[in-house]
Amino acid sequence: MTEQLGFYFDQTLCNGCKACSVACKDKNDLKVGVTWRRVAEYSGGTWQQDGDTYVPNVFTYYTSMACNHCEDPICVRVCPTTAMTRGADGIVTVDAGKCVGCRYCEWACPYSAPQFNSETGHMSKCDMCADYRAEGQDPACVAACPARALDWGPIKELRAKHGDLAAVEPLPDPSITRPHLVITPHRDAQPTGTGTGALANPKEL
Amino acid sequence: MNTHELPMIIFTLLGQLSVGAFVILGAVRLFASRRYGKDVVAGFTDPALYAIGPALVLGLAASTLHMHDVSNTLNVFRHLGSSWLSREIVFSVTFGGLGLLLAAAQWFKWGSTRLRHALAAFTALVGLGLVYSMSMIYYSLPTVLAWHTWVTPVQFFTTTFLLGALAVGSAFAVTVMWRSRGAVKAGAELDDNRAGELLTTCLRGIGLSAIMLLGVEFIIIPLHISNLSAAGGVAAESARVFSGVWFISRLVLVFLGAGLLAVFLFRYASARANPRVLAGLVSTAFALVLAAELIGRSQFYASMIRIGI
Repeated sequence: MTEQLGFYFDQTLCNGCKACSVACKDKNDLKVGVTWRRVAEYSGGTWQQDGDTYVPNVFTYYTSMACNHCEDPICVRVCPTTAMTRGADGIVTVDAGKCVGCRYCEWACPYSAPQFNSETGHMSKCDMCADYRAEGQDPACVAACPARALDWGPIKELRAKHGDLAAVEPLPDPSITRPHLVITPHRDAQPTGTGTGALANPKEL
Repeated sequence: MNTHELPMIIFTLLGQLSVGAFVILGAVRLFASRRYGKDVVAGFTDPALYAIGPALVLGLAASTLHMHDVSNTLNVFRHLGSSWLSREIVFSVTFGGLGLLLAAAQWFKWGSTRLRHALAAFTALVGLGLVYSMSMIYYSLPTVLAWHTWVTPVQFFTTTFLLGALAVGSAFAVTVMWRSRGAVKAGAELDDNRAGELLTTCLRGIGLSAIMLLGVEFIIIPLHISNLSAAGGVAAESARVFSGVWFISRLVLVFLGAGLLAVFLFRYASARANPRVLAGLVSTAFALVLAAELIGRSQFYASMIRIGI
């Protein structure tokens, strides 16, 4: 059986420069408003009492996110046309020749992976740079990261090496779609579902 | 008010109105035929039956505006195994096709009465399947908390029967009004005591059902809002959509519609009532409730706030 691929993200290394996002946009020639890889800034905090003094106890961290090529992709499940499919290597792709542009997958995906291209009237999404991988290169986002916070490979190997954490805030409960994603969490990463912070850049996502 | 999803608002409301009207017409024919004779009832209900088709076709036409590449439209039937959207489209087309066949059979008197009844019953079932599949499109998304709740199918079925009942009531009243006007012009005596009795009996039933369904709305709306608010996070954000001028307008319109129906039920719905007054009252109640449902459906789409990023 072909090995199932996934992404690895080391949150402890990411400094939020968004080079991954720009590299993806450049390589795939994405129009304004379509951004397959985005970087979420999540921040929050509380006041901590130290004797008679209250000191701020704050956190902020970045999460670089594209399609996670889920094991149970909700976009594939809901798509009425079968344009959205999952290949033997686990990569989820959209066939523009079949897509009707109803945007149902966009409603469904909790990672905003399928994105609507108003010029073509079809959905578009990350295919983990299939053309680059075929030539033995890394996906554009992975290659562009100056902090080496991103990686890709067989998900089994990534999990063996880095563990199986697939979600921290603001990512959704991974049991919904079973993403092929492994995260090394930031020291302040908040567990998924706790809602302790807020997105600082919602308009970029 | 959310107008981005206007094609879906129009499609879901007209689709539900069509199914509701069809089912209620069927019920009226079933129960009224025994007492008033099937010919009287058919003459009274056929115009309403023929009006359902254009409503559904208009809804389906609006739904195509939601698709951005119509050249791939036929692909939407491909994923029946797992996509509720595919299923909904199959149910819509089947309901429309069977309705057309039934209307033609009724017009040209094809087949036996029993066969037409069986076809009507099957069409009604397909229609109910359509409303169920419509609601499942939204309910089946665990990523949208405002939709992934029992309120979605309950609200869709309530809207179905509410709009269906009021549309049928208006159609009946208008039919009788036109006929009586025609009869007066022709100088004929209005022998329609039975027709008048049939109209008031039907309208009383319809009015009562509509008031009960409006009552259901007054229960599920606050429950939905309190459930979402209690869940916190994005669910609470969705709950905040149900506030402000549009939300208040919706409640006021529903309340006025129900009030008008109550007045009509207790004061005017008698066999000797002026059909014009009845038609005016029922049609106004229908227009008010339709406007309320339009706002409600628009807010339903506006409450789409997804979990994750």
